Amino acid sequence: MKGKSAAETPLDQRSLLQRFAVYMRKYWFIYLLVLPGLICMIVFNYGTMYGIQLAFKDYSPRLGVWGSPWVGFEHFREMIADPNFIRAFKNTVIINVYKLLFGFTFNVFLALLINEMKIRRVKSVVQTCVYLPYFLSWVIFAGLVQVFLEYPSAADLGGVVNQVIASLGGTPIDFLKTPSMFRGILTISNIIKTAGYSAIVYFAAIAGINPTLYESAAIDGANRKDMMLHITLPRILPSVAVMLILELAGLFVSNFDQVYNLYSNYVLSTGDVLSTYIYRISLGGGTEFELSTAMNLVLNLMGLIVVLIANKFIEKLDVQGIF
Amino acid sequence: MKGSAQGRKRYRRSMLARFGFNFYDIFVYAFCILFALVCVYPMWYVFVASVTPYEEYIKGGLMLWPRGGIDFQYYVAIFSTRSFVNSLWISVSKTVLATALSVLVTSTMAYAVSKTHIRGMKVINALVVFNLFFTGGLIPQYMLYQDLHLLRTYWVMVIPGALNITYFIIMRNYFTYSVPKDLEEAALLDGCTDVGVFFRVVMPVSRSMIAAVTLFIAVINWNDYYNYMMFIGNKTNLQPFAWILRRMLVDQSMMNTVRNGAAGLGMELPPPMALRMATIICAMIPILCVYPFLQKHFTSGITLGAVKE
Repeated sequence: MKGKSAAETPLDQRSLLQRFAVYMRKYWFIYLLVLPGLICMIVFNYGTMYGIQLAFKDYSPRLGVWGSPWVGFEHFREMIADPNFIRAFKNTVIINVYKLLFGFTFNVFLALLINEMKIRRVKSVVQTCVYLPYFLSWVIFAGLVQVFLEYPSAADLGGVVNQVIASLGGTPIDFLKTPSMFRGILTISNIIKTAGYSAIVYFAAIAGINPTLYESAAIDGANRKDMMLHITLPRILPSVAVMLILELAGLFVSNFDQVYNLYSNYVLSTGDVLSTYIYRISLGGGTEFELSTAMNLVLNLMGLIVVLIANKFIEKLDVQGIF
Repeated sequence: MKGSAQGRKRYRRSMLARFGFNFYDIFVYAFCILFALVCVYPMWYVFVASVTPYEEYIKGGLMLWPRGGIDFQYYVAIFSTRSFVNSLWISVSKTVLATALSVLVTSTMAYAVSKTHIRGMKVINALVVFNLFFTGGLIPQYMLYQDLHLLRTYWVMVIPGALNITYFIIMRNYFTYSVPKDLEEAALLDGCTDVGVFFRVVMPVSRSMIAAVTLFIAVINWNDYYNYMMFIGNKTNLQPFAWILRRMLVDQSMMNTVRNGAAGLGMELPPPMALRMATIICAMIPILCVYPFLQKHFTSGITLGAVKE
């Protein structure tokens, strides 16, 4: 505010250019700081936008992106008629709903329970353990999942889970090649990898609760479970709401890293998601460059609408939004 | 019999009471410890299995402790593969370069944009955040890199990620809400310029946040194989370690190279599963080394959408 008042009054008579020069001289350093990022953003983020026209064109490498002929909404019609796209879309939404139903509630539950532990050392050891998987890449994590669920073969005795099944007298299951189990595996592996880390937001909210609330509740004879349900839980609800909205905003976003490292041709029917499908038809072996760009455009627009709606709700809560 | 069972029960109850425990606590501790074990045991199992000699390993079972001695033969097999060592160098160098560039570009921009009273900053902020949700997509990106002659070069793994939007938002929120405004204003009153405020006040105050973000971005860069896979493709001399990992663990296209290499060293042909486990451990070590520092910092607000105080 102070910058404005100092720069404005005597300058009104001067030309626009002079005013600009004075403003720049005053704030040149801030503008200098913003410059590298601005250039990166324009080149690498907005620079890709011109490629979106491919969605409306028939690309030929000889003519380049600009020279290729326009075909209108041809690729969008193709997209809607593509059963594999519809399947990938459905899988993405279903997997995200699973992650929301089970993963999200688990995160809140875990945060509340970890907070209930009163022995400091046990609590910090548990926290150290549950945060760790988040920092391993999905490649490593997928490696772990495979090692555990591996089907016995001639060269190897199979994963631990199948060893246990065999020792109990059951027949081994090829988990990662069974379509009906794939979504479950995605959901559970996602919980193990991210639950601890996601709980941090709630710990921060719990840390902000006034301790006198608990003291007066204790005097009134409330036990710990009552305190959790009637003090802690209502106090972290704003955080829960924000995380829920952020989660909902990603309804059409699929986790390429996770699915790409876990899926195989056997589980495409339940496990193929949008990002893996778009990859497969374009750079990953296919040549449907225009179709994949069209799909990306539609998904981005849909995602953007959901995010804008979600942000309207976030603004109503007293939180740091993302905008 | 009956009496002693009851006695034991009563004794146990009094023990629990003495430590202030009840069944609610037992449930809480059991659940949390169980989940912690679920998170960590797989890694421990893989470590134990990777150092167990083959004769013991083939017996199977839930290994809790190395049996029959410790044997690093699989690690020797891995580290005698040339592309493995080469990829480590690629990964280390690109992680250092990309992280330094990214932190520099992102933090300076985040600080500037947090000064919303300066003209243009709100617009720039909106333009950056918009990119979080709207991108050109894979093919437009590919076309752009082709035009910029970045395709199939080392630099495609370093330069394009310079502005990290997620950490831009986190840092911007930090500069807006967590750097005391009074401090900056006091410095300005004392005759400090914007330059002085930035280097003498804001940077020292945000030191630990910058350190934390640096570590986070470094972990992202270390784990990144996407840029190689999409935009470099088949230049084996540029393979980052994360890609080698994928080829060992997921599609196993490198398995035979390593196995034959081991056989060339005069070892027995190692089982693929054991090699995979040893690879997982190799990949985890750098992350485990920085993990204590990561954990120290990330609880202090390095999360998106945290509630205002």
